[in-house]
Amino acid sequence: MTIDVFWRIPTHGEPSSHRARSPFRGDWFPGNDNRTLSGLSGGGDDGFTYIDYLAEIARAAEISGFQGGLIPSFPNTDEPWVISAFLARETKNFRFMIPFQPGFLNPVTAARMTASLQRATGGRALYNIITGGGGPSQLWWGDPVKHDDRYGRTTEFLDVLKGIWAGGPFSYNGQFYQVEDAGLPDPLSKEEYPEIYFSGSSDAALASASKHADYYLSWLEPFDLIKDKFARVKERTDQLGRKIKCSIRVDILARPTEEEAWREISRGFDNIPKDVLDRYKAQNAGDSVGASRQRGLRPQTINSYKDFILSPNIWTGFNLLRGGQTLGIVGSYENVAARLDELVQLGADAFILASTPHLEEAYRVGEEVLPLVRGKAGAGNLRAVA
Amino acid sequence: MANQFYWQLPTSGDARYGDATRQRRGEAADPNYPVFGSGVTDPRQNAFNYYDYIHQVTKAADISGFTGVFIPDNPDGEEPWIVAGYIARSTQRLKLLTQFDASRGSAVYAAKNAVSFQRYTGGRFAWHITEGNSDEHTRKQLGDFVPKEDILARIDEFITVAKGVLTTYPFNFVGRFFEVQDGGFQGPLSSREVPRVYLSGSSDEQVALSAKHADVHVLEAAGHETIAQQIARYQQAASTNAPEFALRIDVLARETREEALADAKRFLGQTGAPIPKDESSLLWPGFAAEYTGANASLIGSYDEVAAALAAYANLGVTQFVLAAVPHFEEAYRVGSYVLPLVRELTRPAQKQAA
Repeated sequence: MTIDVFWRIPTHGEPSSHRARSPFRGDWFPGNDNRTLSGLSGGGDDGFTYIDYLAEIARAAEISGFQGGLIPSFPNTDEPWVISAFLARETKNFRFMIPFQPGFLNPVTAARMTASLQRATGGRALYNIITGGGGPSQLWWGDPVKHDDRYGRTTEFLDVLKGIWAGGPFSYNGQFYQVEDAGLPDPLSKEEYPEIYFSGSSDAALASASKHADYYLSWLEPFDLIKDKFARVKERTDQLGRKIKCSIRVDILARPTEEEAWREISRGFDNIPKDVLDRYKAQNAGDSVGASRQRGLRPQTINSYKDFILSPNIWTGFNLLRGGQTLGIVGSYENVAARLDELVQLGADAFILASTPHLEEAYRVGEEVLPLVRGKAGAGNLRAVA
Repeated sequence: MANQFYWQLPTSGDARYGDATRQRRGEAADPNYPVFGSGVTDPRQNAFNYYDYIHQVTKAADISGFTGVFIPDNPDGEEPWIVAGYIARSTQRLKLLTQFDASRGSAVYAAKNAVSFQRYTGGRFAWHITEGNSDEHTRKQLGDFVPKEDILARIDEFITVAKGVLTTYPFNFVGRFFEVQDGGFQGPLSSREVPRVYLSGSSDEQVALSAKHADVHVLEAAGHETIAQQIARYQQAASTNAPEFALRIDVLARETREEALADAKRFLGQTGAPIPKDESSLLWPGFAAEYTGANASLIGSYDEVAAALAAYANLGVTQFVLAAVPHFEEAYRVGSYVLPLVRELTRPAQKQAA
């Protein structure tokens, strides 16, 4: 079986390269005075908004052979259901991976929205279920439920969603959700249930994932940890008599040669302001287990980008260049493909890749890296990499 | 300010002209069963569905001069915010008035959704917030177990929180239904237009809530006298904050009154509804309510219907939410033949002369 590869929609703004820090490409932040730095914005009211740029990326991704893209959702970024519906008509194959927390929507509303979006897109919607980082940030979202309770709620949410989808009348009396004789009307009821990618690293998360997820989704972690994590998820799921696949979300930086790739990282690293580095050293917030696992990887001393090299082609400073996860893959096209193949051997069945700028890099990765990935066909036959 | 005209999108199916049978136009009911007989090749297969038709109705409303589209929330139909997003990039001008109730989930998330709509459409997104279905069992089917007497209080909190996070940082709120701590949008999501809020209802409580929050109060179709009374009563109750008034009403307009009556009778005959004894009235209660959700329809010649609409405008109505079956063909008809007459009749100079 082949590997599914997704791309990412940069909802958190887009610098013009890994070197640049100003994320205002495509008028992501029209009120910001720095936008003249972006090199891709009209300035003033030219009638274009950020969705026009995102539409370009979605088209580039589908033309370049990606399944679709994750549309990440942060407090101050655009909303993924809106983006998906806006792009439905002008994309052909692009699958919209919508992250959301169960606290955002009543599950019946979520079912209706999903079925409607499936009809609007010809079945191209799928979920990334997130249960939330916790702490004060959950109350920013207006969500007062505590960390471990939230996974119970996620399980209930998906119980209800699946129950409604399977055909009414469906009733449920849970701690968080109640419905009575619920169902979807024709023809919404005829749509495919969305595939579910599930994020979360705690025990409570794994329990919920093993019940409902099609794909367990992890950030890239050190390869031995990823291997253990995937093994644990698959074991728990086996116990329930279900099958689950595993997937990894990872930033990559691929160039014709490894030297060029590291030069790009080096320039990006040199452009990090001192106060950003200082803040990075002091960071400690939120009760997300995944985030704290990544914090443990910080180097003790920071003098050069090289201090962030964890293992061949694995660099742990990506979150210093832009928001998001820390680990990423840096190297030649062959290097990057070989690392992805290694991850397949460790249990990955799918990837969500990203690189900056997402528009041009979608073409590059689709044309240069994906053709080199051997996937499961290469099992037990890993090529040697210098 | 010029009057605004919204055309309703048929989110849960539409009929065709002269045939009241509701169907999903553009969509094969059974994808395996050819619609054409054995005589004609059917090239469509599953290339289109009802969304393509909704898109055509939107373009029809845009081309024929409406101000916006009204996207009703019918539990048997497509979800309004998905529909709004789906059509948004096909028009640079139409306002998107979406209907929903406050049981849909987090008010913060609804506000976030609205910000993206506003960012991507230049502020064309608007909210018509309803109390949802009046039947308790139907509400429970939709996952809403809040008692009937609390529904207005929930709408109040929903709007307070949504407006709060859209306009204030940090925003804090602890209510019975919603709680926010240090909320509010920043950076690219800050300082976007709050969606215009439409509310409806004629009870004292509903009017009070509307006076507190609404930019536009939606009146259901009724005779001119009733509408005049409702507006007067509202303005008395809400003297500090008089919003605009919208009227939700259907229209069946034809070149002549005789043609309009004939089509109206045919429609009622096909739906099995009784034909009113008194055909002289312009306003037929319940005419296509099952299809459009509107209380009543104006039935008459282009001139008669336009004059009736203009008379509502003279009473203080500034926005019209119009519909007729079938929505595609009738958007062109109403936009081409009725709206220009209403605009002519309500031009400021003529109002003064009247």
